[in-house]
Amino acid sequence: MTARNVLAERNRATRMSRDALFDVIRAPHITEKSTAASERNQVVFKVALDATKPQIKVAVETLFGVKVLGVNTLVQKGKTKRFKGRPGQRSDIKKAFVQLAEGQSIDLTAKLP
Amino acid sequence: MQVTQTQSEGLKRGFTVTVPASELETQRAAKLAELGRTMSLPGFRPGKVPVSLVKQRFGRAVQGELLDKVLNETTQRVLEEHKLRPAMQPKLGLVSGAEGEGDLEFTLEMEVLPEIAQPDLSDLSLTRLKAPVNADTVDKALADIAKRQRTFETIEEDRPAAKGDVVAVDFVGKINGEAFEGGTANDVNVEIGGEGFIPGFAEQLEGMKPGEEKTITVTFPEDYGAAELAGKEATFDIKAHALKKPIDPALDDDLAKKIGFEGLEQIRELITKQVSSEYDQLSRLRIKRELLDALAEKTDFEAPESMVDAEFAQIWQRVEQDRANGETDEEDAGKDDETLRADYRKIAARRVKLGLLLAEIGRANNIGVTKEEMVQAIRQEASRYPGQEQMVFEFFGKNPQAAESLRGPILENKVVDYIIELAKVTDKEVTPEELAEIPPADL
Repeated sequence: MTARNVLAERNRATRMSRDALFDVIRAPHITEKSTAASERNQVVFKVALDATKPQIKVAVETLFGVKVLGVNTLVQKGKTKRFKGRPGQRSDIKKAFVQLAEGQSIDLTAKLP
Repeated sequence: MQVTQTQSEGLKRGFTVTVPASELETQRAAKLAELGRTMSLPGFRPGKVPVSLVKQRFGRAVQGELLDKVLNETTQRVLEEHKLRPAMQPKLGLVSGAEGEGDLEFTLEMEVLPEIAQPDLSDLSLTRLKAPVNADTVDKALADIAKRQRTFETIEEDRPAAKGDVVAVDFVGKINGEAFEGGTANDVNVEIGGEGFIPGFAEQLEGMKPGEEKTITVTFPEDYGAAELAGKEATFDIKAHALKKPIDPALDDDLAKKIGFEGLEQIRELITKQVSSEYDQLSRLRIKRELLDALAEKTDFEAPESMVDAEFAQIWQRVEQDRANGETDEEDAGKDDETLRADYRKIAARRVKLGLLLAEIGRANNIGVTKEEMVQAIRQEASRYPGQEQMVFEFFGKNPQAAESLRGPILENKVVDYIIELAKVTDKEVTPEELAEIPPADL
């Protein structure tokens, strides 16, 4: 991806509709690791597989009203599992570690505005 | 914990209890940590769930549990510190802090058991009524047995049925021309002038000859067992088959053997035993009654109102129920609600007082119900349901409260026995009739 494309990408992300933002963020990801990350003021979400970092940043900033410093993503590949002897595939999951600006926080139990 | 007494009036006591937030917080934290250690949540290894998360998820449930526990414990502590013996479960009212914010403040209201002075039991003088078993009573019972064993002999001579004869008949009963259920039978022995049929039925058979047919009309009495027949007029088509003569068997050892005894003497003994045990029961009932009356007179303390209320509610419920079923007590029929309520309230107060007094006497003299007595009582209860004894045992095994309800009467009886032993008892011989008549209750 060239520098121009990155800028265009960011530009497009800011123009997403509110519905589209909700499609980007799927659910909070609550585990031991995510609890540990919250000490560094990071929040972990499950996001859409095709979501980009700029989209995630815009989504978190607008939906939760916080300032995001950066986003790291990873795709966890689904395992091959056998069901009744037949091989099956679990879905892949994309997770996003979102670094919040200092002094900001997200209350995941509260209702979204 | 901070306790201030707000009320102390008669038997009523009121307190306001404040439990500081810090005390609650430590207890809550301990509880949450405990939960976190045992809980397993997806995304966390067992026991690694952070407390903050546990609180978020189960804070509410823990708060409820904690509230329950704290209320119970503090109530217990207040009772202990003030050396109170509540009459009923104390009433709790939350003032603030129910949701886990700030100090927990609640009110505690109750009635305490009154100080019960032990009446001087040796002062009581009671009369134990005794009735001898009459030979007549036994003879009558024997005659009854004989009558049930009597046989019939067909009368060959052709004459109309007279009083004392037995007619074998078929009959079809009809109301408004239609046969009704249970009104038809074949070859029934009807004793003319005897009992057991609708009034007028047996009498109208008088004068029938074997082979004769007749239709009679009778009216069912108003208080007949089957409600749909009571008070109705019915016709019976009757066909007489034969005339018979009842023969009472002679009262002798043969008869005794026929019904499974060794001899007449044995039956006699058995009847005597039964009758005298009946008398004993009556006599005990009478002396207990007298004892309770005497105790009620001697006692002088205020019954806790809440207990009287509870007892009264129970009585009143039964009265209402009886009234709904149309079974008002004769004595109560003429009274209006107001007087009835007052009357039953008095009864309730008396019952509560006597109950408390008996319990107190039992407590003071270390009268308790032993395990064996409980087992025996349960066995007795079980024998009332033949074929289901096992179920009854299981029921009491599983429901300690139900077993508790058996304990009450046992304790009462034991205490009554104890008092009777202490009291001056004079024996007095009376006739069985005098024994059976129960004097009207004075309140």
